[in-house]
Amino acid sequence: MEFEFKETLVYVENLSISYHGVCIIKDINLTEKDVVRKGKDSTGQIIAVVGRSGRGKSTFFKALTGLVPLNEGKVLIRDFSKEESNSAKNVEEGDIGFVDQKYTLFRHKTVSETLLYALRNSAFSATEKETKINGLLKTWGLESVKDKYPNELSGGQKQRTAIIEQLVSSDRFIVLDEPFSGLDVGNIREVKKSFELLSNSSEYNTIVFSTHDIQLATEIAQVIYVIGYPTINGEQKKYGTIVAKYDLREMGLCWSEYGPKHKKLYDDIVENMMMS
Amino acid sequence: MKNIFYPFAIISKSKQLLIVLFWFLLLMLTWFVGTAGEKHLFPSPVQVFEGFSSLFNEGLVVHIFSSLKLCFLSISIAIILSAFWAYLWPIPVIKVLSEFITKLRFLPLAGLTLYITLVIHEARNMQIWIMVIFLTTFLTTSLISVVSNIPQEEFDHAKTLKCSKFETIWQVIILGRLDFVIDVIRQNLAITWMMLVTVESTVSSEGGLGFLIKNSEKFSNHGRIIALQIIILCIGLLLDWSINYLRKALFRYSKI
Repeated sequence: MEFEFKETLVYVENLSISYHGVCIIKDINLTEKDVVRKGKDSTGQIIAVVGRSGRGKSTFFKALTGLVPLNEGKVLIRDFSKEESNSAKNVEEGDIGFVDQKYTLFRHKTVSETLLYALRNSAFSATEKETKINGLLKTWGLESVKDKYPNELSGGQKQRTAIIEQLVSSDRFIVLDEPFSGLDVGNIREVKKSFELLSNSSEYNTIVFSTHDIQLATEIAQVIYVIGYPTINGEQKKYGTIVAKYDLREMGLCWSEYGPKHKKLYDDIVENMMMS
Repeated sequence: MKNIFYPFAIISKSKQLLIVLFWFLLLMLTWFVGTAGEKHLFPSPVQVFEGFSSLFNEGLVVHIFSSLKLCFLSISIAIILSAFWAYLWPIPVIKVLSEFITKLRFLPLAGLTLYITLVIHEARNMQIWIMVIFLTTFLTTSLISVVSNIPQEEFDHAKTLKCSKFETIWQVIILGRLDFVIDVIRQNLAITWMMLVTVESTVSSEGGLGFLIKNSEKFSNHGRIIALQIIILCIGLLLDWSINYLRKALFRYSKI
């Protein structure tokens, strides 16, 4: 399928994070651009991050979302408050939405209250907020549970609430830490649908997610980054960094049915993960 | 029926009720039989009943309300003070003070009361402040434990919604854990109730259950002492149940 890259949406340069003098991730560099497909109104970006446990994926996500201070490097995102193309800003807490593995929400707020709170800083009037919330609840199939608290929701409903909450608050960027872990087949299908919905609803919507399900990553992601311990001069280092990048769009594997080429990619990724 | 003797056996509610009834009747029977003779250490049911009746004629209800008033007044002040120390506990400069207050719970009641009497002269106020000072140490300990057990994810979640530090404290710690505060009160109620009776018997003021126990002890009226113990136990259990009911009714999301 024909596509082209437009302006840069996420730019990470030499990102390093240490906790108490222990280096967790180092020298992470990545650039993600807006991708436009011919004949498609909007194509959001879906980026997967894979890697063995303890390689720093969660730390990378926390740095990417501005939840931890950077020791070195920078994370820039497209500044949508400015109209000039390629205008960027340093990422701050709240600029990129983050949904953790537990789909954390305020335990004392119902679904509608949660969304209303996420919109508290927006310029919308009370009526506009209500209209927007009702629209979102309808689109995401949460109308029937709008007055329920997180402990009264199913896993899927909780996750969808967490996604739209982050989306309305952070605007277009969302990071999900292992959104597929512990889900049954039905729930996995629901999350995949959510990704599709996000991707189709805005050109600039960018989803970054981590997973241990490599096959699933090759099925739905446009780019796959492998985070692992790098080997430099024959010595394996004990910090995480990007050891491989697979751009499925350039490889011709994106937006197509899962086939033998995807299987080959799967094997390559697993091999890369095992070596790092 | 045999399975009621097997560990972890699942039994029906009616059987459970029968077991409770059995033990209750056995206890009653032991009490009646054990106190049937002329000489007995424990007062007989008749003596306890007489104790109840004389307490009632002496204005038991007024004394119960006096104790409850003292309990609610002191726990209300203590919870405000404890909440202040616990909610500000995440602030490094306050943290040291909050933790120091929790350590004071090891101090004995006797001795310190002397200093309190030097500062406060009115008996009722003295009772209240003795209660408040000691309760604050226990409640602060429990509330700090509630705050420190909040998972990091909840704070990160607030950050992702662009909450300021004080918004985070308000949403995650204060509003997000309001039901826990109620439960902390419930858990500490046993200490409160126990302390209340001791304080009322130490510093006599407007009567109260502690005052009645002290008087009954003075005259070795065993029937009244046991009657009062039963009343105190029942009120304590009723308060425990009511607070738990209130928590569940007020906070639908609360599943502690």
